[in-house]
Amino acid sequence: MASKVALKTKGKASGKKASPEEKSMAQNLKEWSTWAVKKAKVITHYGFIPLVIIIGMNSEPKPHLSQLLSPV
Amino acid sequence: MATALNVPPPTTTTAPPQMKKEEEKVDYLNLPCPIPYEEIHREALMSLKPELFEGMRFDFTKGLNQKFSLSHSVFMGPMEIPSQSTETIKIPTANYEFGANFIDPKLMLFGRIMTDGRLNARLKCDLTENLALKANAQLTNEPHMSHGMVSFDYKGKDYRSQFQLGNGALFGANYIQSVTPHLAFGGEVFWAGQHRKSGIGYAARYNTDKMVATGQVASTGLVALSYVQKVSEKVSLASDLMYNYMSRDVTASFGYDYILRQCRLRGKIDSNGCVAAFLEERLNMGLNFILSAELDHKKKDYKFGFGLTVGE
Repeated sequence: MASKVALKTKGKASGKKASPEEKSMAQNLKEWSTWAVKKAKVITHYGFIPLVIIIGMNSEPKPHLSQLLSPV
Repeated sequence: MATALNVPPPTTTTAPPQMKKEEEKVDYLNLPCPIPYEEIHREALMSLKPELFEGMRFDFTKGLNQKFSLSHSVFMGPMEIPSQSTETIKIPTANYEFGANFIDPKLMLFGRIMTDGRLNARLKCDLTENLALKANAQLTNEPHMSHGMVSFDYKGKDYRSQFQLGNGALFGANYIQSVTPHLAFGGEVFWAGQHRKSGIGYAARYNTDKMVATGQVASTGLVALSYVQKVSEKVSLASDLMYNYMSRDVTASFGYDYILRQCRLRGKIDSNGCVAAFLEERLNMGLNFILSAELDHKKKDYKFGFGLTVGE
């Protein structure tokens, strides 16, 4: 538990909790959630359209791959 | 809530069993900027705010099967850049947008991506019969310019409630209740963490087969009233008043909407000296020709656009 205090010192002075361990846990949570949101944004940005295409190509009646690429 | 409405008030002329089915398909959405639409003013918005554009637009929608379709869209024309001075600055741009839609009774996915990397995504999912999840996001490559919002909608027998979460610690909740077969009242609250703003608003909507009247008041200073009258099957007229009591800004507009067999023509005139018209002409099955014109006499800004839409 003590090691956690040493690692997370990113300069965010929230200062709400008195104990140093609780302070780092709140900071941890914030940082992890920020990291998760950033990753989710990148994943959505690159993966949303392919996801829609995959779901669409697997719906009934299954369209052919050539229909996806041809302009007609 | 439903039991309170089982007692019919003496003034209504509708039979008591109808009071139970008062579900009005009106949604009440949040007022502040990130939200793209509000359905309580839906009829007025459809008539008075068509998608006016300047330049050339070409949209091609290709359906691969009943539920899935792809769209390709090209736009070339001047784009307005927001500027501090009174002059409008326009930069000619050209862009291509690719989109994919999947529409199912239970799940709807809508995605559009542009050549500069901007993604516009919408998702609507019916988790249960009454609970729906909606999400939309505009993602860009620039940092801090992306927005996302998730909302949970609960549909009750004659009421709807919604809870929204957005990025930047934006929380919103709204509720709308039918009180008679024609009248609905609603209220909303929102809290924007980033700007430290909160607000509350109320809205009312009265509609019959021939007309819709809505009113909305918000603590951000906005008062909006609108009235739409369906004069005949093909013609409807709409008028709208927006007043901001904080900044003392008033705008009134009046418009018409002609839905004819081969075309749809919408026009409006504004108290800001802005006259606009939008025509969609059906040339053939699946082929639509669009003309858009907006003359802003006050700012001396004249915009004309034309386009073609292919596909259903």
